[in-house]
Amino acid sequence: MATRDLVLSALFAAIIVALGLVPPIMLGFIPVPITAQSLGVMLAGVVLGAKRGTIAVLLVLVLAAIGLPVLSGGRGGLAVFMAPTTGYLIGWVLAAFTTGYLSQLLVSHSQAGFVQTVNFFVAALFGGVIVLYVCGISYLALVTGLGFSKAFMGSLAFIPGDVLKALIAALAGRAVMVGYPLLPQRA
Amino acid sequence: MRSLHIEGDSVLHRLPAGVKLATLAVISLVLFKIDIPGLLAVAALAGLVGHALLRISTAEIWHRMRPFALIVVVVALFTAVFSGTTEGLTAFFRLAALALFASLVTATTTTGDFIDVITKAAMPLERLGVLRAQDVGLSIGLVIRFVPEILSRYEIIRDAHYARGLKPRPLSIIVPLIITTLRSADEIAVAIDARGIRSQK
Repeated sequence: MATRDLVLSALFAAIIVALGLVPPIMLGFIPVPITAQSLGVMLAGVVLGAKRGTIAVLLVLVLAAIGLPVLSGGRGGLAVFMAPTTGYLIGWVLAAFTTGYLSQLLVSHSQAGFVQTVNFFVAALFGGVIVLYVCGISYLALVTGLGFSKAFMGSLAFIPGDVLKALIAALAGRAVMVGYPLLPQRA
Repeated sequence: MRSLHIEGDSVLHRLPAGVKLATLAVISLVLFKIDIPGLLAVAALAGLVGHALLRISTAEIWHRMRPFALIVVVVALFTAVFSGTTEGLTAFFRLAALALFASLVTATTTTGDFIDVITKAAMPLERLGVLRAQDVGLSIGLVIRFVPEILSRYEIIRDAHYARGLKPRPLSIIVPLIITTLRSADEIAVAIDARGIRSQK
């Protein structure tokens, strides 16, 4: 791995950590605050692509595991990997990978801006929402013995917010691609 | 960013980090095999006593466990309502014990010890050519180094919004934050290579 790619992954991991420390962002049109950290996971895939995005997310999880309170709400330590919601953290890795892989596959520089945004949205929605929730809900259902239907019901309330985050990630991904293109991956 | 490690020289502090992690893995498997609420309650109590032995205040213990309290209670209540009180109690004590034991390992192990364990664990991967074990420590150091910088960059961008009479919006904050941060990657990479940090064995 080139030093530049290593640095890009580390910097993005730092961005994800920072997004967990800033106060939740209020959106104009809905009264619900958005915690920006899971947005950061989608952004990692959209901006850095599959390999570097996955490494960025893995780094955040390693930092959490070694006892640094890097997850939103000051969570950290090994206990976050022994909680009912651990599936979502494992899902982050797959979400960043899927989002990044699909972004590399679908988005190209020759496309019109709107098409790029739509393709980024598809990538973020598939990776950051569908893949993430499949991991999170499966883990919750199997580990706690709640069963899939109840685990799904319990998670339902969070899905609209994450769809919205996928949209923000898509718009941001397209804007970053214009300002500082890192895709398609040079590494 | 303060680590969740607590200074001390208890038996747990002196055990090698690798041993603690392996023990935690075994304990978590055992906890899932046990279905008796009473026995799980004893395990959870043991985890709590372990915290007390670290000589930290009750408030500090609560501060550490608070992020998990809500989700554990919610899952336990769900289980109790749908599957019965015994199952609910089983879920509660099992999840509480898991979080408490994991938190004990975190409290008694330094960040440096963890990085050593990870670097050692990465050695087989290095032999396979997947990654360089030394990169793990370097990357972790980079992240810790740059979090404060990104936070101050965030504040600058937010203040720039206020100065122009604009409300900070997710998009208009995140995009400049990402671009300005990633732009510094080239310089940092050159600085790392110029010092030969990654070529040292």
